[in-house]
Amino acid sequence: MQIEKFKSVESTNKKAKEMKGALPWTVVLSEVQEKGYGRKGGEWYSPKGGLYFSVILPKGEIDDLQTITILAAFIVAKTIKEDFNVEPLIKLPNDVLLNGRKICGILTENVIGDEVKFSVIGIGINTNTESFPLELKDIATSLKMETGKEVDDMEMLEKIITGLKNQFKTISQ
Amino acid sequence: MDFKIKIKDKEYHIELKEEKGGVKVKIGDKEFAFGSKKEKILTQSSSIKKDSSKKEIVSSLSGLVTSVFVKEGENIKAGQKVLTLSAMKMENEIVSENGGKIKKILVKENQQVKEGEVLIVLI
Repeated sequence: MQIEKFKSVESTNKKAKEMKGALPWTVVLSEVQEKGYGRKGGEWYSPKGGLYFSVILPKGEIDDLQTITILAAFIVAKTIKEDFNVEPLIKLPNDVLLNGRKICGILTENVIGDEVKFSVIGIGINTNTESFPLELKDIATSLKMETGKEVDDMEMLEKIITGLKNQFKTISQ
Repeated sequence: MDFKIKIKDKEYHIELKEEKGGVKVKIGDKEFAFGSKKEKILTQSSSIKKDSSKKEIVSSLSGLVTSVFVKEGENIKAGQKVLTLSAMKMENEIVSENGGKIKKILVKENQQVKEGEVLIVLI
């Protein structure tokens, strides 16, 4: 797995989009996102303690990219459910909730001309985030806050990437 | 594997099964299969064959224009980002295949566009 690690970036999706020529499945991982964002420019609070990464996807049909976006939420929820014995709720298409509060956000961005030229899927998971600002504490939570357990971010990253690769292979066959 | 999902405040019960060559998703009584059969359940869109020699930027998907980055009369380069389209639950940067001067911008921010619709005309 090719991982480009950063201490801090504005956004892993933005960084990935700047990496012209990077191979498909390159992962951009950052400890912090200064300006993490979701769909329609919504902010994604990204302090140290969370798992923030983007994956450069192989070129695909726009329909397949939409499918992988939706399946990514299932892959994240499945990983969390199996590893922590909790019941995550998938709020399609882009969020995973735990106990009614947001734990993961997913954003796929494409660059399109006559065809899809570049695609990146960004995933932010509140893994070991210790606390949230007042305005977010009713709508966001972390796995550590809910389960009391420390999350192995690299293990979770690997499981999600493997899941994405397997599903992408299946849907683009 | 069983899941509950929430779409616009309504909860659905989902069963997700990985089967040979694909994934089967059961929502209530309905089953949807993704996989080698290439069944397209989530969208009906097809790719539009565009004529690159014609200096028009055409939308290849239906969606909402969220930002326009260029102005009429502006000279743009091939590959330049001209607008963003929020579509199919993804954010899409639309780039021009051709360089040229922008004659007409036919859409504005917060406008819904259809697949195949001309967005920008170049000279």
